[in-house]
Amino acid sequence: MNSFRPKSPSWERRRLAGKFLLLRRCNTPARRRRSQGTHGFGVPALAGLTNLTSALSGSRWLALLFGLAFLVCQCLAAAAAEQIPPVPEHYFNDYAHVVSGSTSGRLNKTLEDFERETSNQILVAIYTKMESDSSIEDYTVRVAQSWRVGQKAKNNGAVLFVFVQDRKMFLQVAYGLEGALPDVVAKRIIENEIKPRFKNGDYDGGLSAGVAAILAATKGEYKGTGGTVGDQGQGGGASAGVVFLIFAVVLIALLLMAARRRSYGYGGWTMGSGGILGGGWGGGGGGGGGWGSGGGGGGGGFSAGGGSFGGGGAGGSW
Amino acid sequence: MKKLAIGCGILVVLGVIALLVIGIAGGSYNRLVRLQQEVNKQWAQVQNVYQRRADLVPNLVATVSGAANFEKSTLTEITAARASVGQVKVDPNNAPTDPAKLAEFDRAQSQLSGALSRLLVVVERYPDLKATQNFQDLQAQLEGTENRISVERRNFNEAVQKYDTAIKSFPAVFYAGMFGFKERPYFTSTPGAETPPKVQFDFGKPAASPTPEKQ
Repeated sequence: MNSFRPKSPSWERRRLAGKFLLLRRCNTPARRRRSQGTHGFGVPALAGLTNLTSALSGSRWLALLFGLAFLVCQCLAAAAAEQIPPVPEHYFNDYAHVVSGSTSGRLNKTLEDFERETSNQILVAIYTKMESDSSIEDYTVRVAQSWRVGQKAKNNGAVLFVFVQDRKMFLQVAYGLEGALPDVVAKRIIENEIKPRFKNGDYDGGLSAGVAAILAATKGEYKGTGGTVGDQGQGGGASAGVVFLIFAVVLIALLLMAARRRSYGYGGWTMGSGGILGGGWGGGGGGGGGWGSGGGGGGGGFSAGGGSFGGGGAGGSW
Repeated sequence: MKKLAIGCGILVVLGVIALLVIGIAGGSYNRLVRLQQEVNKQWAQVQNVYQRRADLVPNLVATVSGAANFEKSTLTEITAARASVGQVKVDPNNAPTDPAKLAEFDRAQSQLSGALSRLLVVVERYPDLKATQNFQDLQAQLEGTENRISVERRNFNEAVQKYDTAIKSFPAVFYAGMFGFKERPYFTSTPGAETPPKVQFDFGKPAASPTPEKQ
């Protein structure tokens, strides 16, 4: 027990050292603890210590087990400390359930139509609380970047993050909308449109006004294609699947023909290999078809276009 | 006749091996070029956001100095820091290869960061100034710029890390130096950045304040 106790202050220190050490923390103490456990029993220099605790050796093992379990829990907790949420399925996402269904549906439709009209991808994501120890501006820019909101070439995305329990929000603006929605405008939208209503507990009103103001600011910047990435993804996915299927069929036919022609000259071996190859490609073709229909399932909701975020925007608390 | 055939065979094998080596090396060389371009692009972005902040300073100083009897020492500090930032000459299109150069650049910029954050603390004592639309706009811009700086610094570091890893990996490690692919330094966090700044609420005691104040 004593052999590894002196180490504990350093763990504590490391725990305070910040989230960037989390991964390392998950690895080393567990390994160190395990290796010290075995050394404590095996190395003669520590025989005295082992004798002292021999009566307790059963409980020592138990303690070791508990320690390991505790570390595993700690690692899990550390992993849970920062979570980058998955890409939302809609334009308006109320994970905290503070907005009425009708408002949520209406805003979702507005934002979807807005992408058709202007190609700008504006998202709203309402969470109960922030799953990170970092600052809101740092965390939300990384989340927005991982979602790739906005069209690839235009980077015309924006995400309004709201964390209800933290009473904080942040409007992240991608590179392409920084001109139409500069930090000052983003700040004013948050301070003047959203914040006063949130203070009164009026989430429906605050978000409606906020979304309206964001749309008004970003309206003239880009021209839309009449469709969303979700719509195009549906068409593109299906056509890619069809192309792949045709390619696979042609390839199988060619391989079979080649195998049959060669099989006359060389015997059964080439025939067998042709058969295996053909079977393999056939399976590949089936997979292609499945992928195409998967793309179709995503239609109607939100699909990210591949935009990039550079930390533009503004935040506030209420 | 048989010898000739064996000779030809060996030549063909050698040729194939040579082609393979050239192909692999060429691909890896092109990858290095791409990664280096990426580093330079990110460096330009870093310069860009720092320039944006430097451009905000005169406006900020003008707005703040308009406020009744605003502390002159804070403003002088900012102006001096802004000037020293301008004196560090770095190539905006090519990321520095000299760690000392990058450190010098970083030091000058973090001096300006420090001066600006002290200004924002001092402004808390001037509620009238803080309430003006002009100052609030400037503050929003300044905050946004600081966010952009941290994002672009992180992107730059990631690009450099990829590039440095590539030039030190096989097979590039054998010829990276020959073709002038040098290791690039990246931003290290400034000393003291890991501890959050002390927030001093009691402005009545300037002696206890961490910032030097000459009133």
